[in-house]
Parts: sequence; structure tokens; C-alpha cells
Amino acid sequence: MNSIGNIKPFLQKVIRSGVGRWRFFAATLGLLVALVIILLSLQLYLNFNQLLHGKANESETAEFLVISKEVTAENQSKKNESYFLPEEIALLGKQPFADRVGEISSTNFIVTISSFSNAFPFYTDAYFESVPDEFIDIKTEDWSWKQGQVNIPVIIPSFFLELYNTGMAMSQENLPRLSLEALQAIPLRVNIKHSGGTAEFVAHVAGTTDRLNSVLVPEAFMQYANKAYGYQESKPPTRLVLKTLDAADPALQSFLVANSYTTNSDKTKLNKARIIVNWIAGVVGIIGLIMLLFGMLVFTLFIQLTIAASRMDIVLLQTLGASPRQLSGYLMGMFMPVYGAMVMIALLVLSVLQYGIHQLLLQKQLLVSPWLSVYTLAAAALWLLLIWFVNKRTITNYLKAG
Amino acid sequence: MPQKILLRLNNNNPCNNKTNAICKRVALCFSIHQLTTGLIFPLFMQLHLQHIIPFPLRDRLASRHSDIWGREMLWSAGDKVQIIAPSGTGKTTLVHVLWNLRHDYAGTMQYDGTEVRQISPVRLAEMRQQELAVVFQDLRLFPKLTGRENIELKRNMSRKPFCSSRDVEHMAERLGVANVLHQTANTCSYGEQQRIAIIRALVQPFSWLIMDEPFSHLDKQNTAIASQLITEACHARGAGFVLTDLDGNTTLICNKTFQL
Repeated sequence: MNSIGNIKPFLQKVIRSGVGRWRFFAATLGLLVALVIILLSLQLYLNFNQLLHGKANESETAEFLVISKEVTAENQSKKNESYFLPEEIALLGKQPFADRVGEISSTNFIVTISSFSNAFPFYTDAYFESVPDEFIDIKTEDWSWKQGQVNIPVIIPSFFLELYNTGMAMSQENLPRLSLEALQAIPLRVNIKHSGGTAEFVAHVAGTTDRLNSVLVPEAFMQYANKAYGYQESKPPTRLVLKTLDAADPALQSFLVANSYTTNSDKTKLNKARIIVNWIAGVVGIIGLIMLLFGMLVFTLFIQLTIAASRMDIVLLQTLGASPRQLSGYLMGMFMPVYGAMVMIALLVLSVLQYGIHQLLLQKQLLVSPWLSVYTLAAAALWLLLIWFVNKRTITNYLKAG
Repeated sequence: MPQKILLRLNNNNPCNNKTNAICKRVALCFSIHQLTTGLIFPLFMQLHLQHIIPFPLRDRLASRHSDIWGREMLWSAGDKVQIIAPSGTGKTTLVHVLWNLRHDYAGTMQYDGTEVRQISPVRLAEMRQQELAVVFQDLRLFPKLTGRENIELKRNMSRKPFCSSRDVEHMAERLGVANVLHQTANTCSYGEQQRIAIIRALVQPFSWLIMDEPFSHLDKQNTAIASQLITEACHARGAGFVLTDLDGNTTLICNKTFQL
């Protein structure tokens, strides 16, 4: 019962399209363009995100930002305002962009570093900082310290060595240039002045890092030394290290501005480009959406026109016993293949565009997938489902009214 | 399904003991037919008219007698009902009420105990494919379809057609319209269209055939052939019919006659 197949040839003769061929073609083209635009805006948005996250994936690491409080003309004399209070640290840690937050502890005593060798003489006042080990990207067995140990491993910023080799060593005839291995072999005398006198340690460079611009020592040493030699009680941190999966997250930038925090990284600048891309994708998407809604409205009207044009015949079919399922099945069959073809053409066009974008960006050393995103495919399927539902509803309502 | 039919038979059919036994045998035959062909044979469907008065006829009916309007009628399986209806008495209105095309009346109309207004469009379509057949006075053919297409459209509405194309050809030959089946309906004479409409009604299963002046444009010979075809079709299905007629001079054998 209710099979459409047997009566389809007769229905094709009885139920005519209520719309002229050219008008139907123009509307189909309009709806197709709208579909391409909306799916393209989605695909471009996804491409941009892939570029951002692709970069993070390339380095196989999250990004680390050092955050401190802004120094302004008003607060520059108030040192206490530079400290991060526990609740401020907790608040930062709760933000969606924050993966982990670490405190950067600094020395609470006077440190000097000097050379053991007369061939390589130097002397400088210094300070150390420490962070939890998970924020350090130097994986070496040297990176540890126990009480009683004279040797202290230190990590220095990469640019220290670079500055020395390209500036300092080149400007003074008697200074040699140093490789990292050579630098690691040089012992450094560390003197810590405290109320009871001076404590002497021997430091050596365990590695260099781009992540944190500071001279780092193991956290265990920092805790011990601050307790043993500190001239005042330890204070809250003035700098925090933030581990985030997306340094370009606009929410991160907003949070920093809202709390008058600064970061030494330019990674957050990407967010401006991202906001612009989001904005463009959003505007294009909205235009596409509006076109799509109008297109769907036009097609809904086409269905109504078709039913209206064949109303007498449809009523007679119902009178003779054609079931609602047979009639709606036939009417759906008049339009759904058009929508199906539209989706196929739109996806084909987008696939070609996406491959072109992939090739173009490849020349600029940027990698996006040559294939359409699964989200774009899902959006196309969702649209097909939506228009099926809208059409079904329109046809059912109009058949009832008939 | 066979159990359901027998249950309905026991509960609803007002047959006496003798006819009940016959009915049961017929039901069994049709049940076997159902099992072998997959067709659902609607059996013993009752038409129940309860005090129906169409609103447009209300004033006129106040001043004259009618056997149908305002009365209670229970027509059971196999009844052959003739309704003699002079012009203006609501003959076509009655057919439309029976066919569930209009509801502008007081009273109720029931198919097998179900008020027709309560029947869903899906169920109604199912009934019109399996349980009820009709020949309208105005025929209601699709003018741009050929005679054959008009019949085939109806024949193929069910997934498993009740009649074969050969049966259609056979009926068309008997009624003398085989040679015009290829013509569009609007190019056929009214008499030819009427015979095509009769064939269209007979290609489906039914337990009631409702006819509104089906022979009005047929000569005596074709009327006799059409009557014979209808009688055979009703007999084969165990079905009844409701025939409206202007003067009662029908060649169909009826067991109930009413004045509208």
C-alpha cells in the first residue's frame, strides 16, 4: 500500500511544476550561491583555526607567556602593587584559555656571579628565578639540586649567549666566542651575601631557553636559599608563567587588558588578525545565511505554487484514494533531488577552492588541509536535513489544507 | 488479520445463525485469499447513517418526506441499496456524504462504527483504496490522461493491484471502450467516459461500491453490460453497493430501495 513507484508516471503527467523553467533555474542558482557562500565562510574560519593550531602542533608544545603587572606612572613607586595575590593567581588559573599557571619565585638575597678563571674574568650582580619544573623545556638530569650540593644548575635565556657571541666577544679582542657546550663547561662562582656572611656555590649552565627570559635555578635551591639566606620574609610572586594552548585567544588578550597585566610575548598579537578573520567570516556567514533563508523561502513558495497550480488534480487524487504519503512522497521527489544536486555541486566547488588554498599557502610554508573539514560536510548534511524538514512540513500542511 | 475479521464478524454482524455460518465460510475464503495474495479484504463493513440532514437542504426537508434524510440507516455487508432520487433531492449530496467529501450536515455518518469525521487522512486513503469504490455523477476523470491512464492510476494506487491489466482490457472490451482507451479522457464522449469511470471503480478491492447515476449516458445494451460487470464484481468481493438513480429503472438487482 501507498507505494509511489507504480503511480509516479501518472503523477508526473497530472502534477505540473507551478514555476517556469527559467525562474526555477535562477532560484536554484541563487540558492546554490548562498549555500557555497555559507559553507565557504565556515571552511575559511576552520582553515584559519587550523593555521593557528597547526603552528602549535608543529612545535609540539603549548605556548608559555610570562605575565606581570603593568608599571605605570601612577604605580611605579608602589612596589607592593607588583605582587600577584593568591586570589589573582587563582582567577587566572580558572580562565578557559589557561592550561596551567606557575609562580615565578625570585631571590630574596644579594647574589654575585664571577669567574674562577683569570683568562675569562667577569663579575656581576645577579638574581635568580625559579619556576616549577613542568614549565621548563630543558630536559636534563643535571636539572636538580639537593641541600648540601655545591653545584647549582642554571638556565639562561638563549639571547644571552647570542648577545655575547655576536656583540660582546666581537667587540673585545681577548674574549673568545663560545659554543653552548663550551659555555656549559665553564664553572661560575656564585656568592650569596646574607646576615651571617657569604655562602659560596658553583654554578654551571645546564641549557638555554627561549621560553622564559630569566636566569633560572631549580625550585628546590630557590626555596632553600630564600629560607637560609633571605633578608626578609618571602613575598608573593611578581611574575607568573601561563601555559596556554592558544596564545592568540581574544579572551586572553581581553583578560590581560582588563586586569592591567602585561606579557613579554608578541604571540598574543595574532589575536588581532584572528579577530579580523572572525569578523570577516562572521559577516560573510551572515550574508550567506540571509541569502540561504531567502532561497529556502523562495523554494517553499515554489512548492506552494506547484501545489496551487495542480490543486484541482491533487484534490481529485485525494478523492480517489491517493494517500498523503504517496502525494508528499511525489512532491518531495520533485524537489529533493535538486537540493541533493545543489549540495553536491557546492561541495565540489568548495573542494576545488580548498585545494587551491592549500596549494597557495603551501608556497608560503603554511599548511592547511587539502580536504574539506568534516564540520563543513556536516553543515552541508545539516542543511539538507533542514530543507527536507521544511519542505515536508510545507507539503504536509498544504495537502491538509487541500 | 483473519482473526480480526472473524472477531469483527462475531461482534458486529447482525446476521442470524444461518447466515452467520455462511458469512463465516465466506470470511474464511477471503482470509485464505488474503494469506495467499497479501491483499487485505475488507469484509462486512457497515455504513451507518444517523439522522443526517444536510444544512443546504434543511428548509426543504422540513416540508417533505424522505426515507434517508433525518432517519437512521444501517446498511450491512452485501446490501444492494437503491436510492431513488428525483432532481434536487440531494442525491449527489448523499454520495458525497457517503464518500466523506463533505461534512456540512447534522447527524453522524459511520464507517464500521467509526464516525467519518474522526478518520485520519491516511486511514481514509487506505479505505478508498481497499474498502470503498465510487462512480461519481460528474465522473472525475483526469482530462489530460488517456482512458487507460485514468484506470491504471487507480489500479496502481495499491502496492499490489487487485486486477491485472488484462482484466482491464477485458472489461473495456465488454463495455466497448477498448478502442478509445488510448485517447485522452477529454476527447472521449460522455458515455465513453462514464464506462471508463465504471471500469476505474471496479479495478480495486471494495466492500462498498457507491454510484451516482452511473448509467445516465449509456444506452440500454451498455447499461446491461455495465450492470452485469458490477454484479459480478460485487459478487466476487462479497460487496454491496449504494446506487442513486433518478427513476428506479435500473437493471441492477437491489434488495433495499429508498426514496430520497
